[in-house]
Amino acid sequence: MKKYYLGEFEEIVLLTIGILNKEAYGVSIKNEIEARLKRDVSMGALHTALIRLEDKGYIRSSNGEATEERAGRPRKYFEITALGKKAIAYSKSTREKLWNAIPKIVLELKGIR
Amino acid sequence: MKNSPPKVFLNFFRWYCHPKLVDHIEGDLIEVYQQRLKKSGEKKANIKFIIDVLLLLRPGIIKSINRSTYSLNPYAMLRHNFLISLRAFYRHKSSFFINLVGLSSGMACALLIYLWVHDELIIDKFNKKDSQLFQVLQNFHRDAGIQTIEGTQGPLAVALAQEMPEVEYATTVVPPHWFSGKGIITFGDAHLKASPQFVSKDYFNVFSCNVVQGDIRNLLPDINSVAISEELALNLFHTTDNVIGKLVQWNHQAFTDTYHITGVFEKMPANATAQFDLLFNFDAFVAKRQWDQNWSNSDPSTFLIIKEGTDMASFNNKISGFIKSKNPEAESTLFVQRFSDRYLNGSYDNGVPSGGRIFYIRLISIIGFSILTIACINFMNLSTAKATRRLKEVGVKKALGAARRTLIWQYLSESALISFISLLLALGVTFMLLPQFNIFSGKNISLEFDFTLVVSMGVIFLLTSILAGSYPALYLSGFNPAAIVKGKLNTSIGELFVRKGLVIFQFTISVILIIGVLVVYKQMEYIQNKNLGYNKENIITFEMEGQPLEKVESFRTELKKIPGIIHAGTFGHNLTGDHGSIELDWEGKTPEQRMNFANIEVGVDFIETMGIEFKEGHSPTMNGNPESQIILNEAAIQIMGMKDPIGKKVRYWGIESEIVGVTKNFNFESLHEPIKPSFFRVYPVMPYFIVKIQGGTEANTIQQIHKLYKSFASGFPFEYKFLDENYAKLYVAEERVSVLSRYFAGIAIVISCLGLLGLAAFTAERRVKEIGIRKVLGSSVFGIIYLLSSEFTKIVLVSILIALPVSYLITNYWLDGFSFKIQLEWWYFIGSGFFALFIAWLTVGTQVLRTAKANPVNSLKSE
Repeated sequence: MKKYYLGEFEEIVLLTIGILNKEAYGVSIKNEIEARLKRDVSMGALHTALIRLEDKGYIRSSNGEATEERAGRPRKYFEITALGKKAIAYSKSTREKLWNAIPKIVLELKGIR
Repeated sequence: MKNSPPKVFLNFFRWYCHPKLVDHIEGDLIEVYQQRLKKSGEKKANIKFIIDVLLLLRPGIIKSINRSTYSLNPYAMLRHNFLISLRAFYRHKSSFFINLVGLSSGMACALLIYLWVHDELIIDKFNKKDSQLFQVLQNFHRDAGIQTIEGTQGPLAVALAQEMPEVEYATTVVPPHWFSGKGIITFGDAHLKASPQFVSKDYFNVFSCNVVQGDIRNLLPDINSVAISEELALNLFHTTDNVIGKLVQWNHQAFTDTYHITGVFEKMPANATAQFDLLFNFDAFVAKRQWDQNWSNSDPSTFLIIKEGTDMASFNNKISGFIKSKNPEAESTLFVQRFSDRYLNGSYDNGVPSGGRIFYIRLISIIGFSILTIACINFMNLSTAKATRRLKEVGVKKALGAARRTLIWQYLSESALISFISLLLALGVTFMLLPQFNIFSGKNISLEFDFTLVVSMGVIFLLTSILAGSYPALYLSGFNPAAIVKGKLNTSIGELFVRKGLVIFQFTISVILIIGVLVVYKQMEYIQNKNLGYNKENIITFEMEGQPLEKVESFRTELKKIPGIIHAGTFGHNLTGDHGSIELDWEGKTPEQRMNFANIEVGVDFIETMGIEFKEGHSPTMNGNPESQIILNEAAIQIMGMKDPIGKKVRYWGIESEIVGVTKNFNFESLHEPIKPSFFRVYPVMPYFIVKIQGGTEANTIQQIHKLYKSFASGFPFEYKFLDENYAKLYVAEERVSVLSRYFAGIAIVISCLGLLGLAAFTAERRVKEIGIRKVLGSSVFGIIYLLSSEFTKIVLVSILIALPVSYLITNYWLDGFSFKIQLEWWYFIGSGFFALFIAWLTVGTQVLRTAKANPVNSLKSE
């Protein structure tokens, strides 16, 4: 059953890494999420999510250049792995299945559309 | 860079963050900080930085939860050390067992001694106001020195509470041990023995006594009220409900009467010295003994609660002359001592507390510590001695880069491991020995794992680990690896010196213990067999309760008809207790001869039954006025300087008595005391019986006495005691120390010998090639034995030399506490020394003999 497990925040992070495409590292991911979703992202939450995703094998990292504005610390770039891609695809398809299964009348009555 | 985030928090982050993550997360942090700095200024950026750092403090980022190999290292090392230790134990089984047996028995001794000492130290410390609770003691200044007694004047407590602002509460108490025996309480058909205590009103403000029923502010409203313990209530009424108001009959000396119960209290805890079942009003005591109302008699004890912050030295000065201010004729002075200190410091020398039981506690503690030290020394010696066997291990480890600290930890953890195993063993041994230990220490100690016990066990464990492990750890880790691996290792002079010194220390302690045990044993034997001036064999005493005196007299007549009874007398005062003293006057008395004479009140035939011999004169003739005749002892006559005393008169309390007899000196009280001048007053009948029984017929005769007793006083319990039991009680402390020290000395010697055995085995093993060559070249077996044992002999001789003067000082000090003591003979010391030497030879002997007899071919052919 738990073939792929993604938490809500993990999924957002994974998707953002996809959006940033090769330019994804800690600060850029944080800024992107904050800009697109209008929500605050703490460094702690982000990095824990990144560590977890890497442990699960959904992303992989590579060291990048060190810049002056980072006081000589290297950037760590993240990339989605094949497994990670399957995971978001799986996540999307399950949601769609569920969306499609909802009778139209329910949604209309709730006035969502 | 001009602006940087707060240093403290950055460092904090670096400290807690997992090393793998620290670089790029720190980079992120700084980058965000720089962005914020531009956007919203330094202050906000700083605050947000701090929040970020704190929010990063979560599992997954912190070091301790991480999955790196970094933290596995100490664990792996610990496992490795554990494995190496177990292998070492397995390979060198004999030294492992010597260590295990030595350490565990040493620890068991230390634990037992700790339990005993702890139990002694908490005696009488149960009162809530313990730090303020003081007892008033009285000093009498005599020619022979100052005599300290615990009896005080009846009105003292009330007067002190009124006149001294430092005194918060004061109470007058007549403790149970003031009375010669117990009394009998009767309700319906039930007759029970019980101990009384008389207390004045403020008793409950001074002592912690839980009153379960009744009004604690006025528990004993009148002189006919009594409070009983819960235990007594259960035994008497089989319930503690509704006992208040019941009438009980009490039979005890002058206080025989009917009393009504006004309260029920919880019995005192086991660590209280005064154990009583009944509480009476002190006014009831005074009602029967009017003379205790004035300032010239001393009977009850006085206890005070002193206000906090009082300077005790100046308070003592203040009350010193208090008695004199009330009674100008009095010569005694007062001082106070903390009540809970009296159990351990109950001896008085020249009017000030001078030790007592505390001496034995210190002695036993020192013995316990010595035994543990001896066991630790075994471990140190054996580990350093067998170091050669493990040198390769150390060398290889060092060559591979082990730091010295790592090696020290390794050996310390090894000693911790073995002392932990020993501690478990010791706990088991202690648990099994405790019932036996309780019997001969007269205690009721149980092994309860409360906080103090666990802490002290931890301390014993740590102390042993460090004491036993430190020397080998420092020694083994200090080798030069190149020298070890090449096989060049010279044992330095210093090392041999230390090892020999440790063995000397062990044997010194053992020899001191042997001598000490011998002297204590000899002194105890002397006390038991000393001619006391009276005979204590085959004599029983019992009480005749609640009977009129005529009946007692006819009972005595009947008693004498029983064939197995040689003598039957009665007495009020026994010869093993202090029953107060009176000043006598006689013609030609000089002021320097003012002196108190011990007062012994007895019945007819007492002196004969006890076998006390007359020097001159005879027992009083019963002429109807017992106080007209008196008997003194030799010591009294000597002090009075009287010639031809028979027929002369002495006076006391306005009574004139004729001296009709002088007895030879006899010891009463304990042999700690010199023979005091004393006198007998002989009355026709007294409440206690003393009966001399024909040796060998005890069982039968006592049965007949019991039968007769029942027919005279049915329903009353018949309880008898042999006189030697009373006598033995006087030396309980000494007897216990004697037994305890005998066991502990035995253990100390065994542990020392174990160590010697290990060392001997080791030396023999190391010199096996040398011995082989010597034998091939023609050395005799005897020569080899001499060669091997002379080294040990020298060590033991040196320790004997050190031990002799030390033990002489210690035993001399102990004997000083006795007025009648043995002389220290030279052979006690020399004999003990030879004994130690003999044991050492015996231990080393088998080992040496085996080595000396071995075929040299076997030792030389292997290489």
